[in-house]
Amino acid sequence: MRSETTAAKTVDGGWVAPRDRRLLSLILASVAAVVAAGFVQVWFGSYEMTFSQTYRVLTNPDIVFNARLWGAFLFGGDLPDWLSTEAVIVWNLRLPRVVVGILVGVNLAVSGAVFQAVTRNELASPYILGVSGGAGLAVLLAIAFAASASVVLPFAAAAGGALAFVLVYVIAWKGGTSPVRLVLAGVIVATVFQSLQTGLFYFLDSTAAVKTAVQWTSGSLLGVDWAQVRLAVLPTLVVTPLIVLASRHLNVLLLGEQTARALGMSVERMRFGLSALAILAASTAVAVAGLVGFVGLIVPHAVRTVVGSDYKRLVLGSMFVGPALVVVADAVARLALPVQLPVGIVTGVLGGPYFLYLMRRTGDISEF
Amino acid sequence: MTETPPPSESRERTATGDEQPDAKLRASDLELRYDSVGEPIVDCETLVVPAGEVTALVGPNGSGKSTLLRGLARHLSPAAGEIVLDGRDVASLGDKEFARELGLLSQEHDAPGGITVEDLVHHGRYPHRGFLEGRTEADALAVEDALEMTGVSHLRDEDLGDLSGGQKQLVWIAMTLAQQTETVLLDEPTTYLDLHHQLRVMDVIHELNEERGVTVCVVLHDLQQAARFADYLVALRDGDVYDWGPPEDVVTEELLADVFGVDASVSFENGDPRILPRRAVDR
Repeated sequence: MRSETTAAKTVDGGWVAPRDRRLLSLILASVAAVVAAGFVQVWFGSYEMTFSQTYRVLTNPDIVFNARLWGAFLFGGDLPDWLSTEAVIVWNLRLPRVVVGILVGVNLAVSGAVFQAVTRNELASPYILGVSGGAGLAVLLAIAFAASASVVLPFAAAAGGALAFVLVYVIAWKGGTSPVRLVLAGVIVATVFQSLQTGLFYFLDSTAAVKTAVQWTSGSLLGVDWAQVRLAVLPTLVVTPLIVLASRHLNVLLLGEQTARALGMSVERMRFGLSALAILAASTAVAVAGLVGFVGLIVPHAVRTVVGSDYKRLVLGSMFVGPALVVVADAVARLALPVQLPVGIVTGVLGGPYFLYLMRRTGDISEF
Repeated sequence: MTETPPPSESRERTATGDEQPDAKLRASDLELRYDSVGEPIVDCETLVVPAGEVTALVGPNGSGKSTLLRGLARHLSPAAGEIVLDGRDVASLGDKEFARELGLLSQEHDAPGGITVEDLVHHGRYPHRGFLEGRTEADALAVEDALEMTGVSHLRDEDLGDLSGGQKQLVWIAMTLAQQTETVLLDEPTTYLDLHHQLRVMDVIHELNEERGVTVCVVLHDLQQAARFADYLVALRDGDVYDWGPPEDVVTEELLADVFGVDASVSFENGDPRILPRRAVDR
């Protein structure tokens, strides 16, 4: 990928394509949104702080450049005693929620982008393909029957997501798959798994468990801390770069199965491998935040309208816009109303009108 | 083509020609079907695509032209029989390896929105690149060459979606040329194009064959066009080869009646065919 950029630069004499410029603005705007919303998130809360207090704690060099402290955050362990109350609140209680929001946003957006290429359907998302449903069911099962087993959650989610996708594949398979059959099979599997999820609620015996489950199925970042960051960061660091590297293959897949095959791509194998990456990404998000809806659908879609359908730009753009959406939505969910809402409700409420707007604008839904 | 040509077994019905050209692509006892039940779409004993020539597949709708082409390009695995490319069974080649030897331009293609002409043509380099490899000098040269040859260099930065149907087709052909294969198969590359672009497409094919020695096999809807541009014609009827040979020998009044169901008068002037259809007949 890097060599492609340099090649283009030498040929064009440093000229930057308008789409690259737009991608850059999109990335900068997203980073600004994450920083602003993130700052608001660590600033406000039941323990009141002033702006300058928050700023000083956040930029305290003794904390920012303290390897031991970062070790405690990222690998677990006790926090040192010298931290002020403000520092503990900002760094240990409020900031992880922002970081988890970023990771969830990256994973959902990238996963959605890949699924949209694999199924060649811009309305595809981890939800529509049943992956979230499978991951969700597995996590609910873990909550219901294995109690406080937070360590197994990501694995359960990945297994559930993969199982759902394999099911989708099996249902859709008829001497090969087709985008339309994949989406239809996904809707079938997602519906069944959602019903099973709802059914599972009746097996939960304590009110607390029901509350956890409800929170979880609507996608919440309530109560996340560095433990969730630790769970999500590793898969994110593995899967996301791989997807960026695979962008050329995603582009060829977009040309249609016949052309991709004529170009020597082993289409089914590629589709399967890329789907596996996307499942991992979606499951990672589901494992730490539950079912946050719409992000995987609207982010790649919105980015596409700005940077075009080239997957290198699309994946990079989604990696930044996803976190912006989730972190901003979570700030709204947590602070805008007297009660804290799950972030998934805010993204869902935002997602509906976005699609309405798209439908009105394009006039023809099949043009998606 | 240094390989010794595979021995020619049966050439029934192809009673033409005294010279026997080297086969670039040869299918024997080929049976192609979409469903495991019922009659096969294509059931042909022998099909030879001669090396370094332009071969046109002609036949009425539903005669299996496109299916045969898809079979030759490995998009459809044969229910029976084998296909040999350069003396090697195509089933033994890897996907990318095969795509470096043989390029196929399908009849329909989906273009994603917001892709430039140059980027699309670069996709033709896919089989030449490793999984994580970037663009190389050779890629740039091949793309440049393909753009040049199809005459779409000036459109390189245009969005594919903004082009006319004819320009789009030339760009897709450029993508297939960027693959730099010794054999190119094209499925009805001139259908739905205006006359100007039809001729430009045929010119590109002619140049590709004449100057690069590329073996071309093309499905053409227009028999007259096929007879004019191709060195060899393969007439298909009901999934089997009806006749094979140089256009003068194949395009006859009998063929038009038997295969196309048309009562017509056929004459050749300096190798240029003149087909005057009179009326439809039951064949």
